[in-house]
Amino acid sequence: MKYLAIVSMFSISLMAASPDVVQYMNELSKTAKAENPSFSGFDAARGKEIFTSTHTGKQGKPMACTSCHTVNLSSPGKNSLTGKVIDPLSPRANPQRLTSTKEVKKWLKRNFMDVYAREGTAQEKGDTLAYIMKN
Amino acid sequence: MTKLLNLSVAALIVVGGICLYADDDHEEHVRHASSFVAKPMTKQEKTSVALYQKECGACHFAYQPEFLPKRSWDKTMNSLNNHFGTDATLDPAEHKTIQNYLAAHASKYDRMTGMGGEIAMRISQTPNFVHEHREIPKKLVIQEAVKSFANCASCHTKAASGSYREREIRIPNYGSWE
Ligand code: HEC
Ligand code: HEC
Ligand code: HEC
Repeated sequence: MKYLAIVSMFSISLMAASPDVVQYMNELSKTAKAENPSFSGFDAARGKEIFTSTHTGKQGKPMACTSCHTVNLSSPGKNSLTGKVIDPLSPRANPQRLTSTKEVKKWLKRNFMDVYAREGTAQEKGDTLAYIMKN
Repeated sequence: MTKLLNLSVAALIVVGGICLYADDDHEEHVRHASSFVAKPMTKQEKTSVALYQKECGACHFAYQPEFLPKRSWDKTMNSLNNHFGTDATLDPAEHKTIQNYLAAHASKYDRMTGMGGEIAMRISQTPNFVHEHREIPKKLVIQEAVKSFANCASCHTKAASGSYREREIRIPNYGSWE
């Protein structure tokens, strides 16, 4: 019951994403709760830390999400490996973003590998999505 | 608009309007000949091209399959989890569509003689490519606006439409190459 309350409260704050992606975040939230009983909802501040901090990436070199997406999510980024321009990640600046669970899952998997050399946990993924939505 | 553009690009690629390693005179000739055999794409071909361009064009220019033989593409497709140091994995259905598309349009001519039995995964490491690009000073290639030879479209201004004519080349901070 308590858990349901968290989920529905959460959904309301997620209008920046499509229903499809909101649904995905509800699933992530369930998994996060199962993995960590003290989990009490996604947090954009934690997401910001995940997004902006530097780690040893898949190539053994320092990498951050901001290496490609920059710190300003409403301006275009640039792929640090190839030089290709990346459209803004913020759903406000770029309405295409966070509209397809398939795309979101695919890129979170790839990009966590790039930066953290491992896949993200459910909580980490949810926190970063919450952060991206707020920006 | 982007969609429209992609499709016309796709059409060019599929009818074989792309000219690899030809001098300008010869190239004109090839172009002519190829437009002669142009066939409209089937719906399935259009879907495959669009998928290829979206997925394999997400991180860099979507290279025309004609630049490498099938065995190169197969090697690339079988190692997407570690693709030049990044993760480029696809879901199984899309993986299959793209691998088939690459196989169908791969170069029939194996450009890898002189590689000592190696299978090239980089177009930019095939002997033909190295030969064509041997006179370009390194500093023009590693500069920020180009980064590496993998970035075809930074110099070949019409690369996206499959055209690599010399007169269309503009090297950043250098200019045309003639
Ligand atoms: C090596 C460059 C690179 C790094 C580092 C990177 N990304 Fe990305 N990211 C991309 C590219 C390329 C795309 C897809 C490009 C496009 O759709 O325009 C993308 C897409 C995404 C998307 C999909 C959004 C959508 O709905 O279309 C999300 C979410 C995302 N990245 C989050 C992250 C997070 C979180 C990190 C850090 C863990 C990160 N990225 C690090 C290159 C990168
Ligand atoms: C997640 C990002 C990403 C995706 C998606 C991706 N690639 Fe790449 N690819 C790279 C990087 C990084 C390089 C190395 C670029 C460099 O050296 O400048 C590269 C290089 C290449 C090269 C070598 C270019 C050369 O001649 O030097 C080929 C060929 C290639 N990719 C094919 C593909 C194909 C086919 C697909 C689709 C199945 C694909 N790529 C999808 C990131 C990606
Ligand atoms: C730094 C700029 C630069 C980059 C990057 C580059 N090229 Fe070139 N390319 C050239 C120049 C300059 C020539 C002409 C060389 C000459 O004739 O001396 C050329 C020639 C060619 C030719 C022969 C054209 C003809 O008319 O015979 C082909 C095909 C070609 N490049 C394909 C590619 C592909 C594919 C890529 C990416 C994998 C690429 N190039 C990347 C500069 C570049």
